[in-house]
Amino acid sequence: MGLIRAVFDASFRQGSARLKPVGPRWPLLLFHVDTGGCGGCGMELEALAAGGYDMQGAGFGFASTPQGADVLLITGALTYAMAPVLEAAWKAMPTPKGVICVGNCAIDGGLFPENYTIMGGLNRKVHINLRIKGCPPTPQEVLDGLCSLFGQRAPAAAYAGASSSSTSS
Amino acid sequence: MDVVAHIHAGQPTETPWRFQLDEMAWRDLVEGLKHDSLPFVGLWCDGVAVHALFMPHGTQPLAASLMLEGGRYPALSPARAVSSLYERMIFDLYGAEAMWATDVRPLVDHDVWAETMPLAAAPGGAGSNKTMLTFQPSEAMQAAGGVTAGSGPASGGRESPLHIALALDGDVIRYAETVTGYAHRGMAQRLKTCRVEDANRLTGRYVAGACAAHQAAFCQAVEAACGESMGPEVSLLRVVVLELERVSTHLFTLAGIARQAGAVLVASRCMWFREKLLTEAAPIIGSRLMMDHCVPGGVNLRTAAAMGELCSKLAELGEEIYPDLVTLWQSYPGLSSRLVGLGVVDSALLEQVGLDGPVARAGGGDCDYRRDMRAYDGLWRFTSGRHDGAVEDRAIILLEEVGESLRMLNTAGPKLGLSAGGRIDLYYEDGEGIGMAEGPWGAVLYWVRLKDGRVEHAFVRDPAYSSLLALEAVLPGQNVADLGLIRASLGVTASALDG
Repeated sequence: MGLIRAVFDASFRQGSARLKPVGPRWPLLLFHVDTGGCGGCGMELEALAAGGYDMQGAGFGFASTPQGADVLLITGALTYAMAPVLEAAWKAMPTPKGVICVGNCAIDGGLFPENYTIMGGLNRKVHINLRIKGCPPTPQEVLDGLCSLFGQRAPAAAYAGASSSSTSS
Repeated sequence: MDVVAHIHAGQPTETPWRFQLDEMAWRDLVEGLKHDSLPFVGLWCDGVAVHALFMPHGTQPLAASLMLEGGRYPALSPARAVSSLYERMIFDLYGAEAMWATDVRPLVDHDVWAETMPLAAAPGGAGSNKTMLTFQPSEAMQAAGGVTAGSGPASGGRESPLHIALALDGDVIRYAETVTGYAHRGMAQRLKTCRVEDANRLTGRYVAGACAAHQAAFCQAVEAACGESMGPEVSLLRVVVLELERVSTHLFTLAGIARQAGAVLVASRCMWFREKLLTEAAPIIGSRLMMDHCVPGGVNLRTAAAMGELCSKLAELGEEIYPDLVTLWQSYPGLSSRLVGLGVVDSALLEQVGLDGPVARAGGGDCDYRRDMRAYDGLWRFTSGRHDGAVEDRAIILLEEVGESLRMLNTAGPKLGLSAGGRIDLYYEDGEGIGMAEGPWGAVLYWVRLKDGRVEHAFVRDPAYSSLLALEAVLPGQNVADLGLIRASLGVTASALDG
């Protein structure tokens, strides 16, 4: 896979100069690519999107195409088969754009280090703007991580007792 | 010919339920299977021999082995369709060729790996393809004609990567084929000569949504290889984790079906219920996706003594929320009519692809391994009532199973009391064992061979292979807009397929 140069531009912040030709920079739209994992991070992302975590209220949403996305959100340990798919998604995204790795696999391979089929995560291969560790991280931990991009606190979950530090997935 | 007697006539091995056949006997076995309904579980290779596993009675295994001669063996796929996926996997990993196989396309190796035939005695060089995989349609797909289209592997959704190629006639699917291997992590290689504890952690990440089922089956296999079996307390704690996983996964699936059917409110309600349950359970169990709680020799729970109380609390939540969810599902305008008659998996197809689990139960199949498991004594009861095999039936079965699992938790709670759980130290003797669990999508089975205190070799059976064949078979004639809906209702997960 060619080297991805991710430039996480200050234009993500409200009120800053916007480099994209159309569309507001809010909400921040994420294009998810599972690059080969157990699917646990994907399930937690789905819980974040569809559960009571108020992801939209915090300013984030999922894009269905890379052309409409601001950030590439990657889960999974990166297989050789998915590397060209990931690169194609990255190239299809308009600039400015960024990369977020969710889960240990996407960061450094986690339990699936490099072998004949796995490249072992994106660490030291590309510039990663945000790493959200965990196996997998809880929806609240993902939301906290996303909100940290803007130095803000995540809204409280709609469930009594749910907190980012309560447990891992 | 009685196939079971034919296998028993083979040469006995150190494992009492596995018999060595020669090539002629193996060929006779294939012929016999064409006229026998012996349930087939799976086929695997260890580099030296191929092994076929059957389940003649309940959870009683029977295996036949054949030494590879010249790196080849007679295929089982002419007699058992699902075997073609195992044969393709064996070829990709070991280079062992299945003679007279019904399908010889690559399954997971698409010429992109750092080495080909990675588990063979002499692995091949690196694949030459550095670009995106190109789909090579089969002759049947080319003959179907129409406009070609595809879905995946990166659709922006949260599902694992899989490419589904379609031949379309307007909005109607004429033919469908899948390309797998995007999520192949090399599980067979990783489990080879692996420490038992590390192997257990890997099995917990085989496929999300069935983490506990995989780990429970693996642990049972290891314990069986060591000649140990767990006491009723540990078994019951594992059942609680398995049933909670079933509730969580079924609600997740139901939410996906409802959302894709346009019933966003119902989807939201399913996910809200799931989150309510997990918010209660995770602090006591220690995780939301039930990972790493079944360990060889016992269980590993954050607060095992509170499990009884947790079961009662979850059952209370169920009594409060579940009836309204059922009412909402049944009465939501247009939901039932949107799902009725879609993606029918009938009994003939079930038999052809060897599918079990809730998909089979919704198609009239009477299969649930929980009935044969001692740990479920006094808990499990037959409930399945739907049998038309459509997406609607599958959804209703999933919904019913959520209620049934919550009832089981309610019954298990007082039995557990302040049970501490814990684990015993196993002495890992050389040997083979088999373990099973009824996961959310059907039976998960592990065969494990231990040597020198490590896992020498392991085979995993997940219902995903049969689900994939069922998906490819039901898509023709369906509207392309229903693709995601049908896929979600069949539980086709790339992680489980690719291994």
